[in-house]
Amino acid sequence: MTELPFIILGFAVLLHVVFVSITIGTGWISAYSRLMAYLKKDSELERVSRSAFRILVVFELFSGVWGTIITVVLAGFFPTLIALATNVLFAPLLIALISIMIRIPSIAAFWYTWGRIDPRVHSAIGLLMAISGFLIPFGFRTLFSEINSPTALGQFLSSGLADPFAAYLSGLFWVLYLHSIFASLSVGGFVVAYLMAEEGHEKGVRIGYRYGLGFLLLQIPVGAVHWILLGSRSQYIFEAITYGSFMPVLVLKVLAVLTLLSLGLKGYLEGKSVFAKYSAFLSLLAVFLGELMNDGSRYPFMVVITEGGIPISSFANFYIEIPMAAVYVILGFLLLSILVFLSALFYALFRRFLSEPI
Amino acid sequence: MVNVDSLLPLSAFGVYCHAVFISITLGFPPAIMALLFKYMKTKDEEYFRTAKTMTWVLSLNFALGAITGTLVEFGLVQAWPGTIIAIASFAFVPLALELLAFANEIAFLVLFIVTLGKIRTSRSIAILAVYWIFAVLSGVLITAVNSWLVAPWGTGEVPSALYPFMPDFGENSVDVQKLVAIKIIALASGLPLQAIIQNPEVAEKVGVILEDPYVALYNPYAAASAFHNISAAVLVGLSIALLAFSVGWQKKKEERFLKAVRVVSPLVLVVFLIQPTVFGHLMGESVVGYNPTKFAMMEGAHQTLYSPLLSFVAYGDPNRPIPGFDELKKRCEEHGGKRLDDLALSVGLDRDAIIGIAGSLGVNLDRSRTEEVLDTKLRDLCLSDLSRAEEKTEILHYAYYTKIFFGILGFLSAIALFAALRTVPVLSKVVKGILGERAVFLLSVGIMLGSTVPSALGWYVREVGRKPWTVYGLLYPDELVSVFEPARSGGFALFMALVIASVVFSGLLAMYIVATRGRKSEELSGGDEND
Repeated sequence: MTELPFIILGFAVLLHVVFVSITIGTGWISAYSRLMAYLKKDSELERVSRSAFRILVVFELFSGVWGTIITVVLAGFFPTLIALATNVLFAPLLIALISIMIRIPSIAAFWYTWGRIDPRVHSAIGLLMAISGFLIPFGFRTLFSEINSPTALGQFLSSGLADPFAAYLSGLFWVLYLHSIFASLSVGGFVVAYLMAEEGHEKGVRIGYRYGLGFLLLQIPVGAVHWILLGSRSQYIFEAITYGSFMPVLVLKVLAVLTLLSLGLKGYLEGKSVFAKYSAFLSLLAVFLGELMNDGSRYPFMVVITEGGIPISSFANFYIEIPMAAVYVILGFLLLSILVFLSALFYALFRRFLSEPI
Repeated sequence: MVNVDSLLPLSAFGVYCHAVFISITLGFPPAIMALLFKYMKTKDEEYFRTAKTMTWVLSLNFALGAITGTLVEFGLVQAWPGTIIAIASFAFVPLALELLAFANEIAFLVLFIVTLGKIRTSRSIAILAVYWIFAVLSGVLITAVNSWLVAPWGTGEVPSALYPFMPDFGENSVDVQKLVAIKIIALASGLPLQAIIQNPEVAEKVGVILEDPYVALYNPYAAASAFHNISAAVLVGLSIALLAFSVGWQKKKEERFLKAVRVVSPLVLVVFLIQPTVFGHLMGESVVGYNPTKFAMMEGAHQTLYSPLLSFVAYGDPNRPIPGFDELKKRCEEHGGKRLDDLALSVGLDRDAIIGIAGSLGVNLDRSRTEEVLDTKLRDLCLSDLSRAEEKTEILHYAYYTKIFFGILGFLSAIALFAALRTVPVLSKVVKGILGERAVFLLSVGIMLGSTVPSALGWYVREVGRKPWTVYGLLYPDELVSVFEPARSGGFALFMALVIASVVFSGLLAMYIVATRGRKSEELSGGDEND
């Protein structure tokens, strides 16, 4: 019985990736806008920075919670995979862990020192926050690239040893990483554009669109290179998404990206804020579909090795009979937490509860 | 044997750092709820403002608790990956349930923060109460996991088969043959468990090792620990708040601080009346029942003790002796000439079977080393591990009694503070007469010391008291540690300790700034920064 754990893991990963694409993107936009606001003495950029930061703050902890959930799901349902990863990918996972430890305090420091310390120092804290955000996937994405096309894992499986940084020798990792970062910045831009449109801040909308469109245009060729690389390094996934069961997802993703591009361009060129809502939704949909393809198309393998792989069951938990009653209760309560969080999100961003003086 | 000397202190440091934030996570909400309740009743804005400031500190603290929690969790699977087999079996249910608590905890906290002051106060209190319930549930479940390490419920007679002085840990729910095989393979290979469990298909080949996945929740040690540890954390959190308000009152003499002290101090008193007495006694009974070596260490009992008072508290029988290490060693002699080989054979594992199983799990055992391990006399193993435990007796004994001393100090301070703030015949006069105007401040310091020192030392006693094992009577730390050699180096431990210390120091500093300059957290308005 490995299907349900695989679905639960997939659900947690999808939710986490969608949330963190917002936080990583808005983190950079906030930090960079803050720096530019200081350098150019531009109060409107300052407002963009604050709005982007407000989005980040609301999403950050909840997205982090789902990261923790992934860890527990992996350890509980796929103990062999986590035992292997903590050995073979020790160094990359450590990079991610240290980055998390820098990221959250730097968010707090950025927030609480706003306007109270030298703007240059404040901007530096913001940049630390943004860069630590980029470094988290720099660690964790190695796991995704390794299970798509093993490099470090390959070394280990063939010789019993692996270089601690071998995962970074994989070309697929770098393309996947760049694609993830560009997607985050693009999503961050479109989400900021949406919030600024809600607040009637025209310049903010244009800045958001610029990020959204600029990084979408960078993301498209990187995505194509990723697809081509999968064709030579991870044929099983390539075939599943190109001709197989995940082809509809690929088609949907391409459609979502093209629609996003045209809507975004129209919104930006014609100055139509009304499109910002759809652009934000489509950008998140594109991330969702992309991750769904990347993670789901490996089924029934956990680690894909060219045209075959190591089945999910090889990593699954057989040490106990999984108590399904507990699993269903947990899923129910996790859904409750999502509903509560969405309510909080609504109040924080759209009713502007978080933004008003207390 | 693999060296774990640098990783053990690092893990302990990480856990202690996490504990600081956990205490605030659990202790601040009751104080905030009490302040909001007072505001609701009196309409005095100062209660609301204080509650608001505490909420900002709580939110920042939650972020830091989440980071250090991630660190502890990741540290567990990354530095001690052998524990993954326990996470996937005994700890599966509590950890999985903890997910729902954790996710809802943050969801309700965010909801509380963004709606505070915008909705009816009674609703805010209700939202915070739900958050707190999930926070407590999270703590209970994590404590259940830790308690399983201290008292491995469901392993029945397995530990006592190795160590005759050990009690039975409930009804046996484990596949003894498989557990013994894994243990012997780990010993014979000289490698940590990770070397076995990281091989694809191993879990499928090993199969079910635990029949009842809920067993960690039935652990009586977990129940006592949950009451004892959670209430201790609440107490520490409340004491931090109380001291902060008392310092404010002492320095500025502003009435708002004293008002807050008056609201928080009864909560402190109530928890102090129950925690060290009722819950402390429950915990003590569990230690007596399930951790014989720890009990002997706590009492400094190299030799069996005869103490009517202690025996009455421990057993309800003043004539019963407190077994010391001499008695425990005598129990080791019950093994006679039995070897590990005999134990393996008793569960149907001969030498060839063990080597065969190891091979099927991807571990190549050296026959002569395997035979050497199987020839180990159980008596020698038992005595050797007892000696390793006994080595820590002095430090544990003094730690335990220092904890007791500070607990009494805190208990008395809590009563005295109550008397100082209210009118208690005779006592109020005595307290005010002795301590004068500084009574609130000094007694808050006493409460702070009386909650934090026992908590820190209590955890030390709990964790060091189960050594030399990580899973009491079953597994050693070096069997659970990472196979990744650089992770076990002193340099790595020092580097990580510095990273953790920097993050924790920055976090505490930020919380101090928020607490002392409350309005600085309100700057996402896009308005004037100097509002």
